[in-house]
Amino acid sequence: MTAPSMRRALLETRGLEIQFDTRRGIARAVNELDLTLYEGERFGLVGESGSGKTTTLLGLLRLIEEPGRIAAGEILLDGVDLLKLSDEAMRRVRLSRIAMVPQGAMNSLNPVIRIGDQMRLTILEHERDVKRDEADDRIRELLEMVGLLPTVARLYPHELSGGMKQRVCIATAICLGPQLILADEPTSALDVVVQRQIMQTLRSLQERIKATVLLVGHDMGLMAQFVERIGIMYGGKLVEVGTVEEIFRNPRHPYTQLLISSIPSFETRGTFKSIPGAGLSLLNPPGGCLFHPRCPDVMDECATRAPTLVQLQEDSHRAACLLYEEGNHAGTT
Amino acid sequence: MLGVGLLMLGAILLFALIGPVFVDTDMAQPLSAPPRLAPTSAHPFGTDDAGRDLLAVMVAGVPLTLRIGFLAGAVGLGIGVLLGFVSGYVGGKVDTVIRGTVDTLLTVPGLVVLISIASTIREEISVNLMALVVASLAWMWPTRTIRSQVLTLRERAYVHMAKLNGLSTMEIIWKELFPNLLPYLAANLAGAVSWAVLATIGLEALGLGPQNEPTVGMTIYWSITFSALIRGMWWWWSIPIIFLALLFVSLIMIAAGLDELANPKQRKAA
Repeated sequence: MTAPSMRRALLETRGLEIQFDTRRGIARAVNELDLTLYEGERFGLVGESGSGKTTTLLGLLRLIEEPGRIAAGEILLDGVDLLKLSDEAMRRVRLSRIAMVPQGAMNSLNPVIRIGDQMRLTILEHERDVKRDEADDRIRELLEMVGLLPTVARLYPHELSGGMKQRVCIATAICLGPQLILADEPTSALDVVVQRQIMQTLRSLQERIKATVLLVGHDMGLMAQFVERIGIMYGGKLVEVGTVEEIFRNPRHPYTQLLISSIPSFETRGTFKSIPGAGLSLLNPPGGCLFHPRCPDVMDECATRAPTLVQLQEDSHRAACLLYEEGNHAGTT
Repeated sequence: MLGVGLLMLGAILLFALIGPVFVDTDMAQPLSAPPRLAPTSAHPFGTDDAGRDLLAVMVAGVPLTLRIGFLAGAVGLGIGVLLGFVSGYVGGKVDTVIRGTVDTLLTVPGLVVLISIASTIREEISVNLMALVVASLAWMWPTRTIRSQVLTLRERAYVHMAKLNGLSTMEIIWKELFPNLLPYLAANLAGAVSWAVLATIGLEALGLGPQNEPTVGMTIYWSITFSALIRGMWWWWSIPIIFLALLFVSLIMIAAGLDELANPKQRKAA
């Protein structure tokens, strides 16, 4: 496997800033996000509820709705800034180049339209010169690729199980051969057995069409099995990025350390450790490092100075914590 | 419910369509039969003061009433669908303007507006013009109800998914939302038609309908004007009312039946 740094970057966000103008002030849901996804990799974005994971995904598709807006930054897909595209050009990017596998597959299919008709509608919307039966052939092929019978095309959504619906959503997502697949907790409503099957399907398809996958979720176990690199988000900021091994073997940011020690396992019995304190308020964030009110390793400096992502000793491992910034090596583990 | 309603409406339509084959509609003109006859075998519905055969009047008048009703109902619903979808889906300032206009207009008593329009153009009013006059007031209620339906539909996950998949707004409205609303729209059409018929009959009964055509409402107007009730000419006023009652019951049953199909909360457990 080539080292991540040798690969070509497919998607880069630079200083991405997504804000929601609320009556009580501006909520910075995504905060100076610098994220790089390499071609063909599986990247996981983890964080607690409200940490800006889903907002980031919607931001990448430019589908942030009022009162939210993308306030600053760049989203470079193959070097082209998506934020500078016209609405119509951006609409064509959706699905054909960046596709999304939704969170609640249960409700993501139109209840009164047959599966095949829904898929054909999306295909023809993007490729107007495709003939009807060509599209139908492709739909049958896609359904087989995700492990469904081609006859599913004739069914209505209520005739499918949850896992089947999620497979249909995956088939729709890959129907135009996108370069980037965004998966927003694609298995959150499914039981673990189906969860595993769905993730395997997604993985084999991703390898087959050589797409990049950005998986969002808070299931660390699922992440560890599926992705190659992980980014940890807290309060709309990326606090640590690294390969799965780096993050799980040697977590550096105190938040990541707590997150990993809170995963239940067979080896360590007893009470779970939870992260003290409550999630932060985006409307009234603490000064300095956003995590300092809950951090076990808090220093005086943390309340005043905001850390930036710094390269650690290892190749790709980076963390945003003052413990690792210049002159503060005392706290390293 | 739906079946019975459709059957009744079908019977009324059949009467209007096949009637002219058996009944000479010229008999609906004054002085074509002896006046003031109670129902006999020659004139099953009797005749009125001016010598119109009431069976012929019904055969000629029911299709006119239905035409005005369906035309006005369809035009009203069409405008309602358009404005309701735009208002509900686009939202923002457009929504505020459309909703404000509709809410304001709904506070104006419809019949007053209709009477003033109809009495202004009374001389040259035809059946189609009548339909347009009624339609001018028939669009507000559909706009409001469809808007509220669209508001709930546009937040459904599959609409978000359609956006994520890069579908255009028109595509989402017509291909994703519209099929979901079809039973609801059909129920609305039945409602709009019965409202339009009621408004039409109201105007005609006040003598503001088309002057040269024998409509159902006109018959009621004449029966009031010539005091049919106290003169004991029961067939004169009861026959148009029976026809209207049948029409309304059938439309209400159709609307309720469609609502049962469209609204899971109304659906009886099987």
